[in-house]
Amino acid sequence: MHLLLVGLSHRTAPIELRERVDFQGRLEPALRALAARGSAVEAVVLSTCNRAELYAACNDVAAARADLAAFVGDFHGVDRAAVAPHVYDLQDLDAARHLFRVSAGLDSLVVGEPQILGQVKDAHRAATGEQTVGPLLNRLFHFSFFVGKRVRAETGLAAGAVSVGYAAVALARKIFGALKGRTVLVIGAGEMGKLTARHLKSQGVRHVTIVSRTLAHATRTAMAIGGASAVPWDELDSALGASDIVVTTTGATSPILTKARIEAVMHSRRNRPIFIIDIAVPRDVEPASGELEQVFLYNIDDLQATVRDNLARRASEVERAEAIVSEEVGKFGAWFKSRGVIPTVVALRQRFEAIRRSELERLDFKLGALPPEARARVDEITHLIVEKLLLTPTAQLKGLGDAETATAYSEALSRLFRLSDAADRDSAEAQPEIRAADPDGSTALANDPDASTSSGTPRATSSGERVERADPGEDRVQPFIRPKARPTGPGR
Amino acid sequence: MNFVPLALYVIASVVYAWHFAEREPAAGRSASLLLIFGALAHTFVIGMQTMDVGHVPVTGPTSAISTFVWLLALAYLYTEITTDERAMGVFILPLLVALQTIPVLRPVIEERAALLEGPFFGLHVSLVLLAYASFALACVIGITYVLLFKEIKAKHLGFFYARLPSLQVLDRMNRRTVVFGWVCLTIGLIVGVVWAQYANSDPRVQAMSLQDPKIFVAVICWVVYSFELFAAPRIGWGGRRTAYLSAVGFLIVLLNFVPISYFSSGSHDF
Repeated sequence: MHLLLVGLSHRTAPIELRERVDFQGRLEPALRALAARGSAVEAVVLSTCNRAELYAACNDVAAARADLAAFVGDFHGVDRAAVAPHVYDLQDLDAARHLFRVSAGLDSLVVGEPQILGQVKDAHRAATGEQTVGPLLNRLFHFSFFVGKRVRAETGLAAGAVSVGYAAVALARKIFGALKGRTVLVIGAGEMGKLTARHLKSQGVRHVTIVSRTLAHATRTAMAIGGASAVPWDELDSALGASDIVVTTTGATSPILTKARIEAVMHSRRNRPIFIIDIAVPRDVEPASGELEQVFLYNIDDLQATVRDNLARRASEVERAEAIVSEEVGKFGAWFKSRGVIPTVVALRQRFEAIRRSELERLDFKLGALPPEARARVDEITHLIVEKLLLTPTAQLKGLGDAETATAYSEALSRLFRLSDAADRDSAEAQPEIRAADPDGSTALANDPDASTSSGTPRATSSGERVERADPGEDRVQPFIRPKARPTGPGR
Repeated sequence: MNFVPLALYVIASVVYAWHFAEREPAAGRSASLLLIFGALAHTFVIGMQTMDVGHVPVTGPTSAISTFVWLLALAYLYTEITTDERAMGVFILPLLVALQTIPVLRPVIEERAALLEGPFFGLHVSLVLLAYASFALACVIGITYVLLFKEIKAKHLGFFYARLPSLQVLDRMNRRTVVFGWVCLTIGLIVGVVWAQYANSDPRVQAMSLQDPKIFVAVICWVVYSFELFAAPRIGWGGRRTAYLSAVGFLIVLLNFVPISYFSSGSHDF
């Protein structure tokens, strides 16, 4: 089973195309459509403003790759040829690394942006709901959540505001704590003022007051924002006295708020702290006002400077974040490779078990005379011998480090024991069931060899028939058999 | 025996510093755990001493300092657990370490004079020590406030900006700890005066007056903190000035604790 990623992002596709192939809000139908195509065994669709990516577990990589790329176009009714040049695909650990980088925010337009991890989780949740997630993608996505959290916790990749609006809000939070219950005064009724007021309002401030030279403008802006009130120009001082955060956005050519004026206001407000954000050019607030105790004055350049600092700081954290990603890709890779030999292990066990059963059946006429207890003992002893014989090879196979050696060993075993194609197919189908029972995936087979054969998938017809014939005999020995360890014939 | 908590405090302070610099969550948790173990060990030490001599070891400067450190550790842990804010640890721990070295270097439990028996004296000392521990906490909070304030004012948002809680939270924490300390100090001083009235048969008690340095400094402290609590808000002294007051107030407390206790003699030499 292979891991495959097919997708396009802001790195490969222009915004016009990304808009047309956006899966946001349509994840479930997309997953259903994808499942119906049958090229992927498992699938997750990750879609944000900047990317549309399909993660899949598949057996035939080449076929799945072509089909998934076609699906992106087909689902949105976009010409396949228009999509194809912008699509990238990655396989196995490269795909895993890509997802880890995405979760960490390393692949985002703004490095370290916070929403992406939530979007990755949404993608996984939608796929879980549609039951298109199996053991492989489940493991992969849980790993990626962990990577995202680890990078945020251990590096400064997501630290600091990287837009002027957020920088202002972050500053306000550092001064006032929670913004709930704070009041904002916006001086000027222009578009900038309206945007800032909306932004602050969405951050939970209690009340927004708008003051403008023309009361009608202020009233209109207040109505547009909703939950805001307008105040006439000559009440500016009292409005200043009642506000915690002041945003100035007027087009005035000389400062409206002089140091002397603010000083007088500060006196009336008993020096409670005030945060003044001057986003007007030319400036509305006399710069010397910032010298006043308890006045925090930031203009647009100051805010932009903090944004630049934050971006630089994030860039300097990229290396550490990449190191974490690499570390986790290594861990995931160890698991991923170890599961590559599992079909072989399963086939080997099935082969041994089939031989044991057929031998027991062949000797049935000799054993028939034995009392049921003795028959059960024979069954148990032969079972234990098979177990013992398989213990070391199973452990050795799982311990193989790299994929190439694992493939060589698997091939050798297939040839030596004639692990038929039929058995291979069976085991491949049986796998998800095993995994579902044991999310770790690696212990189930070692501890419970029959789990694979009792997983509900019909075995090869020949052995199945034999098992069916053996059923009556099994009924007799039933009381002495550990129920879980016995295979259930397909006829039951 | 005092060195066991000291050792734990030293290790904890290193881990707190590491946590502060690197913002590693695991480091923060280990730091808190180390401090909890330190405080537990300290509790044990003080408990043993109490059993040993039959009273809480607060009757001399050395044991009083040990008890003070213990109270401060507990007070800090209380703040940390209730606010989930570990940034202050890096400032508190060095203070714990510095003060705890004194009882380690002078491992004596002062004999209790017959004069000092009775509940009033114990209450007086416990309350005053508790007040001083709160003031120590307020001092540290005040210092962090000033550091953050300066960064925001200078528009240079760096180290402390990324690590400290908001100014408003620091201000509120400062006020709370000062209120608590002030109440303890006020009651403690009143109890002290009442006790002095009871025990005025002793010549030393009769000689007690404001001229005794220890009493004098305690009263000064009380005045400073009263000003911070009641007068400062009225004259528009908020934020940074209050924070400075907290810092200065505790410097006076520290003065009372170490130099005056050991090097100056007066009527209140216990």
